Amino acid sequence: MSRPVFPLADARTVADDGDSLHFCSTCAFSQACLAHGMDKRELLDLHVLVEHVGPFHAGEHVFRKGDRFEAIAAVRAGAIKTYVVDRDGRERVVGFHLPGEVIGLDAIDGEHYPCNAVALDTVWLCRFSFTRMAALASRLPELQNHLFRLLSRDIGAATRLAGDWSADQRIAAFLLGLSQRLASRGFSPRRFQLTMARTDIGNYLRLAPETVSRVLKRFQDDNLIVVDRREVELVDFDRLEELAAPILRS
Amino acid sequence: MRTKPPLDAGLLRRYDRPGPRYTSYPTAPHFSPDFDERALRGAVIESNGDPIPRLLSLYVHVPYCFSPCFYCGCNRIITRDKAQASTYLARLYREIAMTAAMFDRDREVVQIHFGGGTPHFLSPVQLREVVDTLRHHFHFANRCDRELLIELDPRSMSPSDVAEYATIGFNRASLGVQDFDPVVQAAVNRLQTVEETLAIIEACRRYHFRSVNVDLIYGLPMQTPEGFAKTLDTVIAARPDRLAIYSYAHLPEFFKPQQKIDATQLPTPDCKIALLQVAIDKLSAAGYLYVGMDHFALPDDDLALAQANGTLHRNFMGYTTHADSDLIGVGVSAISHIGATFSQNPRDLPTWQTAIDEGRLPVIRGMQMSDDDQLRADLIQHLMCQAEVSVLAIERRYGINFATYFRDALVRLQPLLDDGLVRMDADCIRATAQGRLLLRNIAMCFDRYFDNPGVPVKFSRAI
Repeated sequence: MSRPVFPLADARTVADDGDSLHFCSTCAFSQACLAHGMDKRELLDLHVLVEHVGPFHAGEHVFRKGDRFEAIAAVRAGAIKTYVVDRDGRERVVGFHLPGEVIGLDAIDGEHYPCNAVALDTVWLCRFSFTRMAALASRLPELQNHLFRLLSRDIGAATRLAGDWSADQRIAAFLLGLSQRLASRGFSPRRFQLTMARTDIGNYLRLAPETVSRVLKRFQDDNLIVVDRREVELVDFDRLEELAAPILRS
Repeated sequence: MRTKPPLDAGLLRRYDRPGPRYTSYPTAPHFSPDFDERALRGAVIESNGDPIPRLLSLYVHVPYCFSPCFYCGCNRIITRDKAQASTYLARLYREIAMTAAMFDRDREVVQIHFGGGTPHFLSPVQLREVVDTLRHHFHFANRCDRELLIELDPRSMSPSDVAEYATIGFNRASLGVQDFDPVVQAAVNRLQTVEETLAIIEACRRYHFRSVNVDLIYGLPMQTPEGFAKTLDTVIAARPDRLAIYSYAHLPEFFKPQQKIDATQLPTPDCKIALLQVAIDKLSAAGYLYVGMDHFALPDDDLALAQANGTLHRNFMGYTTHADSDLIGVGVSAISHIGATFSQNPRDLPTWQTAIDEGRLPVIRGMQMSDDDQLRADLIQHLMCQAEVSVLAIERRYGINFATYFRDALVRLQPLLDDGLVRMDADCIRATAQGRLLLRNIAMCFDRYFDNPGVPVKFSRAI
């Protein structure tokens, strides 16, 4: 059977399979903890895990800038947009966070969240105490490595886009990036829904929304992709990778 | 697709039962007052956010008519007072401005349809003003395939009006004819000569309208196969690009004007089938292709071409070549279809006016389609337009197992399979030539709402 099309979910991608003793299949930390032979019961004993929360519905905020920082959260299902509002009142999209990914990492050096996080569709989260997780990580090198990886991925995504790339390159890299991230969580790498609005995509990629649509339309006319409402199917990976290569290698 | 549908009177009689015409799924009776302005605004924002937002189709409803045709089930107001038009237009322009403001500016308009009522109750100057207003508020790029269609009543216009419409940009016309038999015309209160009708068709040609459609109706009082045959001969000689042969639905309890029709003058079911038979025979012999439901087209017309290459689409205006545009209806009673929602304006003038005067979008009811609604709408759309459904495509697109998901529907479909209306294999459900005359009966099998006794709905019959 083919893999589910994000955000549709099945047993492999919905994180409803966890319970008080077992990690959810999409857990951002289970691999790292299990590598140390640490199961969920032990984490519970250490009060690392806080709670499963949700659902948050599309448009609902998970936290807002300035809210007191209590926990970082792993996405169990759905997608989250983080953004800030600049001095002129303009929104700036910081990132999109998919199942298995973590939000709130940029808050760990302060007492307050530095950005807003809003659900793009129906979102379930797992919130846990960063302080306790970090304390645990100091004893578990694999977990520490994993935390660093998450942090550097967050920073990497932002710096990659700072380059002088064309709209075609940015959009190809964006689509391939989503594809890879979803694939690593058990979703189809070929077909997925863009649950964020095109204004968000444009904002994130520093492109006008009309440009996003125009490029996607041209990609479609050139048989690179097929777009059906919010759903995108990547048809010609080779040519997309060719376009995105300079960004993905940067 | 291209063969003439054969007609088995016995089968047609058996399947002649009430059902929706599926210009939408779910059908309008399922719209709910819970769907309000807020929901509509949300739907527009959502549609603006699509990676490639849909193109736009506009429908403008002009509710006025000079005199009442008794068969009419449309929303209209009978008056000869042309002054009413200007107060209507003042509101219409406010509605257009409010509505257009919600849509991103790069969303292009590809189709405009003026319906009614009688659109040219408005003067050519007023019609031009409406189109200019639309141009001002919406994005009209220079595309050669944009359709501007106007419904025409040859009785209340002159050929010189057509010249004016052409300069406004209208390039398609749809003419009401119904039947040329004077006895039928008297029975339905619509006296219309062959000469005035042909003069309008001729004028449309002279001013390079790309397509002319003629509407006929079968099942009207006093109609006979002989009289209808003469009407068809006359119409076919004028060679319209498209013909719609509608079945008259006598529902006087719903459509007040129909109470003026003497039910004893209506043709018997057998006679109605004979009328349809005449139409199919004549049109097929004249080279028209059967598009589906009530529609025929010449082989080089856009509709026939769209059906051949699989891009035919069906919406509230009937069949169209503009697949998957968002439809915006303005004016009293108009229906919009934006993203996965339907919404409708009030059917009465005062409620519509009040909303606009208060600065509100005049939506009175509608619905947000569920995932299941969208899946079934897609399936029924394929059925009505291509007369077939690819099981594999549906399974792939929606991630379902067709046989499991549609277990109940397939049980309902079995008698139609047994009767040879439908064929089915692992990949495809296909209407046979006979079944194409009963597409709505096939679609009913997949309609989740159709057997729901909780909804008091009255539909016209299949034939």
